Amino acid sequence: MNAITLRSRVCRIVAVIFGIFWTVISLLPFLFMGLNSFKEKFEMMTKGVFALPDGFYLENYKAVFQGNFFRFFFNSVVVLAVSLLILLFIAACASYPLSRFKFKLASPIYALIVACMSIPIHITLIPVFKMSKNMGIYDSIWALIGPYIATAIPISVFILTSFMREIPKEIEEAAQIDGCSRYATFFRVMLPLSKPGLATLAIYNGVNMWNEFSFAYTLTQSSANRTLPLAVWEFQGQYSMNMPMIMSVLTLTVIPMILLFIFAQDKLVKGMTAGAVKG
Amino acid sequence: MKKRVKKIAGLLMAATMVVSLAAGCGAGTESDSAETTSGEKTSGDGKEIVFWNIGTEEVDKAIYDKAIDLYNSTTDSGYTVTSVPTQNDTYKEKLIIAMSSGECPDMYLSWSGGPMNEYIKSGYAQPITDLFNKSELPDRLMDAAIAQAKYKDDIYAVPFMNVSLSGIYYNKDLFAEHGLEVPKTIGELEKVCDTFVENGITPFALANSTKWTGSMYFMNLAARKGGLEPFNDAVAGTGTFEDESFIYAGEKIAEWTEKGYFPEGVNSLSEDDGQARQLLYQEKAAMDLIGSWYTGLIQQDSEEFYEKMGWFPFPALEGSDADPSIMIGTIGDNFISFNCKDEKLAAAFDCATKFSEEEIVDFMVESGKTPPIKGIEKKITDPISKLVVEAANSASATQLWYDQYLPPAVAQVHLDTSQELFGLTMKPDEAAKQMQEAMKEYLEESAE
Amino acid sequence: MEKGVISLAARRKREIHTAAIMFLLPVAVLMAIYIFYPIIDTFITSFYKWNGISADKSMVGFRNWAKLIADQNFWTAFKNNIVVMVLSICIQIPIGLALATLIDFGGKRMTIFKVLWFIPLLMSSVAIGFLFTYALATNGGIFSAISQLFGRGNIDLLGNPNTALFTVIGVIAWQFTPFYMVYCMAAYSNISTDVYEAAIIDGANKGQYFRKIAFPLLTPSLKSAAILSMVGSLKYFDLVYVMTNGGPGTSTELMATYMYKQSFVKFNMGYGSAVAGGMFILITVVSLLTMKLLNRDRGRE
Repeated sequence: MNAITLRSRVCRIVAVIFGIFWTVISLLPFLFMGLNSFKEKFEMMTKGVFALPDGFYLENYKAVFQGNFFRFFFNSVVVLAVSLLILLFIAACASYPLSRFKFKLASPIYALIVACMSIPIHITLIPVFKMSKNMGIYDSIWALIGPYIATAIPISVFILTSFMREIPKEIEEAAQIDGCSRYATFFRVMLPLSKPGLATLAIYNGVNMWNEFSFAYTLTQSSANRTLPLAVWEFQGQYSMNMPMIMSVLTLTVIPMILLFIFAQDKLVKGMTAGAVKG
Repeated sequence: MKKRVKKIAGLLMAATMVVSLAAGCGAGTESDSAETTSGEKTSGDGKEIVFWNIGTEEVDKAIYDKAIDLYNSTTDSGYTVTSVPTQNDTYKEKLIIAMSSGECPDMYLSWSGGPMNEYIKSGYAQPITDLFNKSELPDRLMDAAIAQAKYKDDIYAVPFMNVSLSGIYYNKDLFAEHGLEVPKTIGELEKVCDTFVENGITPFALANSTKWTGSMYFMNLAARKGGLEPFNDAVAGTGTFEDESFIYAGEKIAEWTEKGYFPEGVNSLSEDDGQARQLLYQEKAAMDLIGSWYTGLIQQDSEEFYEKMGWFPFPALEGSDADPSIMIGTIGDNFISFNCKDEKLAAAFDCATKFSEEEIVDFMVESGKTPPIKGIEKKITDPISKLVVEAANSASATQLWYDQYLPPAVAQVHLDTSQELFGLTMKPDEAAKQMQEAMKEYLEESAE
Repeated sequence: MEKGVISLAARRKREIHTAAIMFLLPVAVLMAIYIFYPIIDTFITSFYKWNGISADKSMVGFRNWAKLIADQNFWTAFKNNIVVMVLSICIQIPIGLALATLIDFGGKRMTIFKVLWFIPLLMSSVAIGFLFTYALATNGGIFSAISQLFGRGNIDLLGNPNTALFTVIGVIAWQFTPFYMVYCMAAYSNISTDVYEAAIIDGANKGQYFRKIAFPLLTPSLKSAAILSMVGSLKYFDLVYVMTNGGPGTSTELMATYMYKQSFVKFNMGYGSAVAGGMFILITVVSLLTMKLLNRDRGRE
């Protein structure tokens, strides 16, 4: 009995140490990003990136806010919101039959989608540029939505399909016995039960879209249509960049994502399934 | 609960429809309301000239805006020029993507050498020889700059911005402290370096994860050993990259690395992140062989530190016949290329001439640039820039950076092998052999 | 309406098919436009000699592909990708699972850690690349400073061809572990609280609960996580491009960076497309085979 409590205590200590260690590791780069955004350029270069700032030098942030930052921010929010909503909805639609229906084509289609996860993004740039031109949406934020959704589809369908497979069959069957059609089952049972999976996807794809770079500069050209990741351009020249300034842009870019995560992680609470069975 | 799900689903459906409609019909209204009028075109309609450039950062952006405003406010051609800036690192990729779809802006920034030749060969750059010769530009611009804008017998671009020559920036205080003089020969330079190594100071601040920074040592050493013929012959296919001057350059780099002339971990330091300048500013390193754009950069970082800086050209090699006045670099580091015709071309060319107009040149000099203009030395007050222009004017020849001059595929091999020389992971003869193979392959393929 | 007697089974089948089509349609349309078309375009381009911008391309048949198969640099890149893949799976998923387990066992008081541990995934590659190149630098870097505390010299992790790849893998792991943490958290949330309560009532401690109950229930999710990590590492690009650009030498060259250089730097769009095509085929084969293997195990269970 004593041996067991000792062992569990050791386990607990190991867990706590590991937790603290990981917290430090995750946080340090973020902290330094924030700290360097309060430095003057020459100060950062002479004293090093890892020294504390001499004082709170706010000029960087002032300069960022005087630029086009809010315009970029607004563009990013619109693109993110529209792309993410559509993506989650259509990915859930596609994952439902792939995980639940028994039909011959299910596994080839699934395999095809998995295969599409492996395309390198750079091969899509030229064709997508051409198409956006032809559609007349080049140099508008609407050009970004299509590629953002499409490139996220394979991984999203893959994750959601494997997630839906793990939802107990009984729940779905009960709904069908109650007389729900497939469509109704999807909306009333599968979609609510997939919330943790959808939240994972929202977080993952949200971050990717927020930081996406390649399509953003390929498909837009005027500064009014740029998104946040391109905001750093104003501080990058041909031979050098103003790092503290870039750090302040990047810090401001991360904060909304942290807030979004705090909101979304709420959906990842244990016991969703149990709750749904009861409700 | 169920109702809410339905509502959300309905909303989603509606959103999908709206967006696909917007995508399908073209969001013309959106771009109309945009602040700039460049709209959806890479090349402008009718009376608009679209000019792609890399002026995203403050100083450069102001120069572009000033010159373009000057054109737009004075022209009576009816054309207006719209500037579309893209950040340097992504600019080349964006240009390739546009060109591969058959799109090309009316005016665009390019660099001399390999990539410019590709644009010309692919029909995206128009010759401007007649316009050029009729204009004031032949009188205004340095001859070496004009030579770099030539391909075969025609002029294809207008040089502007900066005279960028590689030379050695050094910390005058550190030199004085250790009783050192500016070296005239490579032997003397090595003595200077040895003194610094003995005193725990890194002789050269080099950040070579960027690769082209280390390439400057290779080019200068090779040019001091054998002049420019070995390189020109190797490129033409009549000579070889296994020539003794390239082997010499490789061996010197390896020797200097072993003697500790470069910072530890030289291949992991990043020039883009400013790690070379950091070594200079911390006075951990005494010298830096780099392009003359450093003048402006250091001034922007700290006027105070700039006072400590001196400059000298890469020293001569004892016992070599090679002309030590040869400089490595580019006279005018940016060029404007044109992809339009007739009247529009004339208008675009007229806009390009504004960059060498007195008013703009003065502004560039104020911003720490050295535009490739004849007699620019009279305008310049900065001592280092003066030295650079003197060196440019007295140079018997200027060798463009290898990585820009060579066909892009061969240039990449040069960068990779010269980085390995600094890492001591490749022997000089091996590096030379790889270069020669890449060059041979290119020549064979283009001969087909 | 019905002309004859259609069997119930056939009707059900037809009904399933229409439903499946309806559900899959939006995804199919978007993928056809933005993914299938570029793939086909890439394969077509791979049969041409083309500098990427010129209007004339010349058809060269399988020459690019023959060159690819004989290209030592490509296979080095592939080998590097495999190393990245194996180590990523071995580092990211176990740590991600451990973190998720801590959060799951810890309950409400772990909420703050959930957020803190997630932060690396939120940072853009530009910032990560910059901070880590400085942290790893021989001049004022954190690692060199630590080594000097112990009286050793500077350590140059990124500039040394023997350690550069592993260093980059470490940074990639730092960035992506939080994703697997969130992924495992979602998988945990799929285990109903009833199961957990029943186990605890039966007298199981947390360790036993994890080993005997939770882990087997998480296995399918972990398998999917492995596939995700696999595909992700085989086509990885961002941080390597920012931090080392494939160097020193070819020590951190990956298939994606190699492809990018061929297409957009060296003006070899035709060959670059062959590299992209080869990459696509290799990744697809590797991932589908793994999936088949993993699913066969699953059938046996």
